[in-house]
Amino acid sequence: MSTDTIEKTAKRSAQSGQPVIELVGMSKWYGNFQVLKDIDLTVYEGERIVVCGPSGSGKSTMIRCINQLEVHQEGDVIIHGKAYGKDEKQNDLIRRDIGMVFQSFNLFPHLSVLENCTMAQIWVKETPKAEAEAVAMHFLERVRIPEQAHKFPLQLSGGQQQRVAIARALCMNPKIMLFDEPTSALDPEMINEVLEAMIELAESGMTMIVVTHEMNFARKVADRVIFMDQGEIVEQAPPHAFFDNPQYDRTQLFLSQILHH
Amino acid sequence: MSDSTNTTRTQPLIFQPKPERAAPPSTVGVVGWMRQNLFSSVSNTLMTILGAYIVYVFLASVLNWALFNAVWEAENRRECLDLVGRSGACWPGVIEWFDNLIYGLYPKDQIWRINLGFLALILWVAPLWFPKVQSKVAIGISAVMLYPFLASYFFLGGDKGVFWTALVSAGLTGLIWVWLTVFTELRYGTSFIRTMGAILGNSGKSEEEQLKFGRLSLIGVFVIAVVLVSQWELSFVSTRQWGGLFLTLVISGIGITFSLPSGIMLALGRRSTMPLIRMICTGFIELFRSVPLITILFMFNTMLPLFLPVGVEVNQLVRAIVAVCLFAAAYMAEVIRGGLQAIPKGQYEAAAAMGLGYWQATTLIIMPQALKIMIPTIVGNFIGLFKDTTLVSIIGLFDLLNMARSVGEDTRWLGLFIEPFFFITMIYFFFCFLMSQYSINLERKLEAGARR
Repeated sequence: MSTDTIEKTAKRSAQSGQPVIELVGMSKWYGNFQVLKDIDLTVYEGERIVVCGPSGSGKSTMIRCINQLEVHQEGDVIIHGKAYGKDEKQNDLIRRDIGMVFQSFNLFPHLSVLENCTMAQIWVKETPKAEAEAVAMHFLERVRIPEQAHKFPLQLSGGQQQRVAIARALCMNPKIMLFDEPTSALDPEMINEVLEAMIELAESGMTMIVVTHEMNFARKVADRVIFMDQGEIVEQAPPHAFFDNPQYDRTQLFLSQILHH
Repeated sequence: MSDSTNTTRTQPLIFQPKPERAAPPSTVGVVGWMRQNLFSSVSNTLMTILGAYIVYVFLASVLNWALFNAVWEAENRRECLDLVGRSGACWPGVIEWFDNLIYGLYPKDQIWRINLGFLALILWVAPLWFPKVQSKVAIGISAVMLYPFLASYFFLGGDKGVFWTALVSAGLTGLIWVWLTVFTELRYGTSFIRTMGAILGNSGKSEEEQLKFGRLSLIGVFVIAVVLVSQWELSFVSTRQWGGLFLTLVISGIGITFSLPSGIMLALGRRSTMPLIRMICTGFIELFRSVPLITILFMFNTMLPLFLPVGVEVNQLVRAIVAVCLFAAAYMAEVIRGGLQAIPKGQYEAAAAMGLGYWQATTLIIMPQALKIMIPTIVGNFIGLFKDTTLVSIIGLFDLLNMARSVGEDTRWLGLFIEPFFFITMIYFFFCFLMSQYSINLERKLEAGARR
């Protein structure tokens, strides 16, 4: 299957089919080392994409370019039809539609769970405090930890912290959610509670890009699985095609290593 | 045997955690602590006894000298020596010089102004420790921004122009506002401006318009302050007459208050991505850090006047204060930078991903954490700065140390050095210990907030 046809099927399966993220010939270097090589990727509204690949393949860097935590040097990153450029104000507005969840949670340890969730609402969107708290409680309930609202992040387990991080990102009412290895830093017993929160979010129709090695999650939730190696997208396909019939030898090797160890 | 294996297969074993037991009695409580820490072995017991003996000998000799053998009433040092020789302290000299040690050469009948000035400061910052007060940040900022005008008029006095009257009135307004707002917040739960807005503006009006009335009432307070201030006539006291503990507190107080915000700005500047700002801040920090404070004081005292245009004269005290401030800022900048270095990159990224801009991320996320980590070092710097102010005695300012030295140069108390130095040692210890205890207290409080 060519990339074109894959994206067409993806477009059909997605809910309304508007492209929300377009990466066009995106390249990035760290010094002389090229981390991303001419990445082309289109993500449609409501699509759930899982990105996998060996460490150092550029998958984290790619999704961090989508909200410009890392700045690419060539090509375009277009969100909702608007490309990032030199105008920082404009970039901030584009970025506001994108929420992100990190591998190491990155909650603010000096603020309570509730304050973590209201901080950006109050200061960026200038929501009144009471309203911001109501929004925060709504999302904390959705990830099933409203009772922890007044605790501090370091008092919570890893799984709870990551669910707070998800709620915190959702409080800004993003159109796109990026997950950068959200379960990699968790104890095995806590992975499921985070994955469940993510599955629920996927079912609500959120556009999601998830970097993860949780292949069961990919099988269950993804519309498209992307495999990256050495700064390139090697292969992309719907999950059943990707897992049962990988096209490239590199993909087969990778899958054999992570599925049968 | 095989039967039991079969039953466990069909019915899983139930894991029953063991109940917790109390710790062995010899390891807890006062006796347990002493047994573990002081008398755990023969050699340890011997060390404990030896240590206790050394402490006893030292304390006994100090107390004998300072209290039991001391002379409390005498006309001059000769009398003291005749009475007890050198085995007891001669306190009358210190008692006679007490006012000078505390207030310098400030006119005796004006000393109440200094006391009033410090009382105003205590009144200003005391609400910061009231748990129910909400506008603590505003009170803190007002203390830093406005108190200096009020205090400098108390301490300096003299003629006021229109401009100076306005500044002093602003200072007085600040103090009055603090207590008005403390009163309304404790009584009605809203700040002074909001309360006045609600009282003056009709209830039908919008919040914005009510606030307008509230601000108007603050202007009313200012007008009253102007009237009060223009009634005051305080005689002029030259900074040359300032001295003793008073001068030490003025110099170190200004230095400490200035060093924190300027240190924060310099540290941020040094980490800036803008090359010019980074170079200026790095240059400033490295320059002032690599020169001893005495050298900087000498430079500002003797060389600065050479660079200023003819006729412009900067007060010697101001020169010393500026030197101390710049030196302290450079050191503080490096402390703050250490704290910033300790904040994981993920915090910046999370803040950016949430849409917070540079200044928002810095003030809301990064700085609170960096300052909290560095509290022990920051307070350590404050303590160091407080003690470093003794160096201004070298350029001829009569701070606490220089005043103590003057006691022994008085003809009647010639050679009386140990007693005044002992006395100011206690004063320095009191203030430094206070600061360090406060820092420990603060750490505990913040720690309790963030964990458990």
